[in-house]
Amino acid sequence: MSTRLARILTTIFVLAVVLLPIYWLVSTSLKSNREITQEGTLYPHVPTLDNYVRLFTEKQFGSYLTNSLVVTFFSVAIALAVGAMGAYAIARFRLPFAAERKVGLFLLTLRIIPPVVILIPVYLLMLSLGLLDSWLGLIATYTAFNVTFCVWMMESFFREIPVDLEEAAMVDGDSRFGAFRRITLPLAAPGLAATAIFAVLVTFNEFLFALALTATPRAMTMPRGTATLIGRIDTDWASMSAAGVIGALPIVFFALLVQRHLVRGLTMGAVK
Amino acid sequence: MPSGTQARKYRLQGAGLDLALPYLMLAPGLMIVLGVLVYPLWDGLRASAKAYRYGSPIADVGLQNYMHLWSDAQFLNSLWVTVKFVALSVSFEAVLGFALALFCLHEFRGIRLLRTVLIIPMVVTPVVVAIVFRLIYASDAGMLTALSEAMGGGAVQILGNPLNAFIGLVVLDVWEWTPLMFLILLAGLQSLPHEPFEAARVDGAGAWRVFADLTFPMMRPVLAVAIVLRTIDAFGTFDQVFVLTRGGPGEATRLISIYGYDTAFKFQQTGYAAALFVTIGLVVLALAFSAIRLLRRVDAS
Repeated sequence: MSTRLARILTTIFVLAVVLLPIYWLVSTSLKSNREITQEGTLYPHVPTLDNYVRLFTEKQFGSYLTNSLVVTFFSVAIALAVGAMGAYAIARFRLPFAAERKVGLFLLTLRIIPPVVILIPVYLLMLSLGLLDSWLGLIATYTAFNVTFCVWMMESFFREIPVDLEEAAMVDGDSRFGAFRRITLPLAAPGLAATAIFAVLVTFNEFLFALALTATPRAMTMPRGTATLIGRIDTDWASMSAAGVIGALPIVFFALLVQRHLVRGLTMGAVK
Repeated sequence: MPSGTQARKYRLQGAGLDLALPYLMLAPGLMIVLGVLVYPLWDGLRASAKAYRYGSPIADVGLQNYMHLWSDAQFLNSLWVTVKFVALSVSFEAVLGFALALFCLHEFRGIRLLRTVLIIPMVVTPVVVAIVFRLIYASDAGMLTALSEAMGGGAVQILGNPLNAFIGLVVLDVWEWTPLMFLILLAGLQSLPHEPFEAARVDGAGAWRVFADLTFPMMRPVLAVAIVLRTIDAFGTFDQVFVLTRGGPGEATRLISIYGYDTAFKFQQTGYAAALFVTIGLVVLALAFSAIRLLRRVDAS
């Protein structure tokens, strides 16, 4: 009986620690700035959606959201297509000098290096190409990061698919690439989905490169746009919390929807 | 891999156009990576050997930027803050995550809810996590102040005080990333073999003996992987600090990534910042590869 009580109490405690901060964000977003700073209420006494409306009418969150969706969609889609092919080549072919394994190791090494390390040269590159503050600049950057991840993750999925099926298709007259496209790729669909989900998550949430590479609502993404609300002297808590809710809501909803596939990506394959 | 499979793979490659196929399939991905990641890496290496003024290179200075780092008090301080931050956060996350994983190992009602809710902190945009914690810590609008006032106390000062701000940052990181430790370690625990534990129970071993003699030693490789992953990740922490404290007050929470960013974009010392980032990259790579080597040795023995 006492272990049961301990379990219930621990569960409640953990739930509270995780959810209370989220509750405070949502609750603040429903208050007026006066209620937030002067009355310090524990819940919104006069709930209002004004903060949300203001984000879209005065603060261009419509553009931020559009930019985020466009950039995330294209960088993940391209990386997935290109990465799946690369991963297949590494998983299935034995090249001279074990080249395929060296390429795999090389991509993994690139993944270990913290992105901040290449922030300056990427900025200089986009500057010289005239791609600062544009969708294309962000898409190119995110695609490259996603490719290293997609290759590395898809490779393990392809290895789990038996070669015999492709052989059978080729005996039936399929080309090698045809066998990949018609047999292996559909079989790897769950892996492809898991990879895409994780890539979407990381790309949608990315801030550092968005901070350096964008400057106006033309290309600013959600996290980048949200950061513009942080003033030096006066903080507009109401807008900031509403922006936090809008920025987090789609991604949390999406993540909970697909949580089963998420764990593998989040743990970088440490868990299968 | 058995040689039969290997031979079959050679045969599969066939002749003619199929011979070029692996290269054709690798090419697009490699081209993107070479253009957008590798070329910048090389370019950063070149920039790190130059002095800049107003964003343009003015002179080759060889390794001077790198040598200057070690006499730069601000760099050394940011390195120290980063090491403290990583060591403290990752330790707390490992201990709490392990405890939580052990707790959740026994099936009980509510565990699904717990696991689902624990996904939230690590998928919420890091910028938003920082906003959440600003809303908790703020001395005027914060949850802590509101709670303290509800109980008759005064405003709580977190982000204005160097020590409190640093602790506040560690708390944020622990809140955000303990769930990841938990998930990795829970999966590790679930994949342990049952037999040793049953034998121990038959022998009447107590809970602590089972943990110290069985669970912990068997979990060491998984624990090591989880800690290495988190450590590498924590070294690059930027977003949360940028939004929460911007490195302040003073230099109390100025992680190395923030210092590098400011050096490059605020002070326009492009070459110096490039040298700083190359150094971080090398440190993290060295850390990662020595960890991998260590793990291999543990695996082999």
